[in-house]
Amino acid sequence: MTGYRSVDDTFAFVEDHGDPASPALLCLHTAGQSGVQWRHVVPGLVEAGHRVVVPDLPGHGRSEPAPGGPVDDLGAYAGWLLALADALGLDRFAVAGCSIGGKIALDLAVRASDRLTAVVAMAADAWTGGSPSPRGLRRELVDVAAPSRADRTELGTLAVVGRATDPERARLIAAMHRREDPVVSNSDLLGWASHDLRERLGEVSCPLHLVVGADDLWLDVERVRWAASRIPGARCTVLDGVGHYPMEEIPGFAAVLDGWLRDLTTGTEAA
Amino acid sequence: MVAAPTAMDTGRWFEDFAVGERFTSAGRPVTADDLAAFTRLSGDDHPLHAGPGAMLQGPFGIAVAMGLMQSLGLHGEAVQGLLDTHWHYRAPIRVGDVLHLELMILRARRTRSGTRGTVTRHMRLVGDDGATRQEGTTTALVAARTSGPDDDGRAFGTVGWGRAVVDALDPETAAVLETWDGTIGLRCDDDEVHLRVYRGAVIDVSRRAPHGATFTLVADAATWLELVEAPDNPLLRLAMTGRVSATGDGYEYLRLTRALHLIVDAARAIA
Repeated sequence: MTGYRSVDDTFAFVEDHGDPASPALLCLHTAGQSGVQWRHVVPGLVEAGHRVVVPDLPGHGRSEPAPGGPVDDLGAYAGWLLALADALGLDRFAVAGCSIGGKIALDLAVRASDRLTAVVAMAADAWTGGSPSPRGLRRELVDVAAPSRADRTELGTLAVVGRATDPERARLIAAMHRREDPVVSNSDLLGWASHDLRERLGEVSCPLHLVVGADDLWLDVERVRWAASRIPGARCTVLDGVGHYPMEEIPGFAAVLDGWLRDLTTGTEAA
Repeated sequence: MVAAPTAMDTGRWFEDFAVGERFTSAGRPVTADDLAAFTRLSGDDHPLHAGPGAMLQGPFGIAVAMGLMQSLGLHGEAVQGLLDTHWHYRAPIRVGDVLHLELMILRARRTRSGTRGTVTRHMRLVGDDGATRQEGTTTALVAARTSGPDDDGRAFGTVGWGRAVVDALDPETAAVLETWDGTIGLRCDDDEVHLRVYRGAVIDVSRRAPHGATFTLVADAATWLELVEAPDNPLLRLAMTGRVSATGDGYEYLRLTRALHLIVDAARAIA
């Protein structure tokens, strides 16, 4: 049931839609954002027969901060999500995530493949190569060092939305993203820039699909392909005209994601 | 005053070059005779330039680029000489390559005398495989047909251009700069213009404000062209990828993100 619950000492907001007996899908948001990023996708996923669980990660959206303050270790989020799955009674489930959510999905695949039916990791690689600069990110953890943060978030979001996105939709995405807490999103980005899964990709045994937009300035497509090449059986898709936020950019994304998940769980060859 | 020339016979005069114009030459195959002739001419018989897989001497590319430019029919009697060449060697040229010249007019400025101008061309030698072999800029002195005036719309970094940009600013800019007291520098290669801002108004446009620029937005001519020609204002995208940078006060630069976006909007409007 959608609502608040305590998970690992964080009082968190978790959307839970669809038939509790349906196969569960965990949808993860991007740095500094919240489950609201999935608002237009959830109904279609429920329609397609999924139980859709959309948490606001600790410190994001309607969730209270983590007990230790802003989280800068994506592994901590992955651990928290496994505790959430336990609390919801999800033994096995699928995960779809984007950006830090995509990398957290990749981390979950590394640490808990046995519990995962399918993973769609969007806008994520195994290691960013240390960018953006952790030093710069740490400096901007102090509010006084980060001027015009809302403008930069809005315009910076527009800069990484794909060319195929309708301008009106792009403006809406950017306006929604302005709402973030800079300290939380900078901590997320510290986690993004420092989380290194390169050595552990071979441990993934669940079906996994890496997806990256060709217009995504945050990602180097070659790094994503490299990660896919190191994960047994992984698929990799590059989306033309798409940027850093496929679930917000692509109209009718629920059907697209449902198709990827079906291909992963039935073992169908990707087109 | 020179009698009006016919374009086919004489090529172009200074006024005929528009910044941003692009041209592509026909292909020119590189032959074993080329290698032998250039070795004889230059005396550079280093082992790199002999045997199977030999690389042509670097300046061969410049020579061919100049020849391919001549084949475009741009330059006739009005051209008075070559002023400079800035060149980069990106990949070897070998026998069997077919080279095309992609040429773009980067900069056109009338000289102080008014009777001629300098025309800077970006020149890229591309192989049939699409990979750049060599590229750079060359500047020619070209006679003028008239005494001007010239359009400032793409004279990036000049005072005339700066004034035109200020005239085209959206009224929102005044509100964005209402609390600001400082000087915005806009630089294109060696040209820099200062916009002195006080409480939302641009009170002076000059080569150099008395206290200098608070910060300067820096980009090369090709990047300024992209800023004004891209379908959407790409300032943040180019800043994120390092093609646009800033010198001076980094905090104030970030603080003025939206103002700079509006300034680029104005530059796009007059281009």
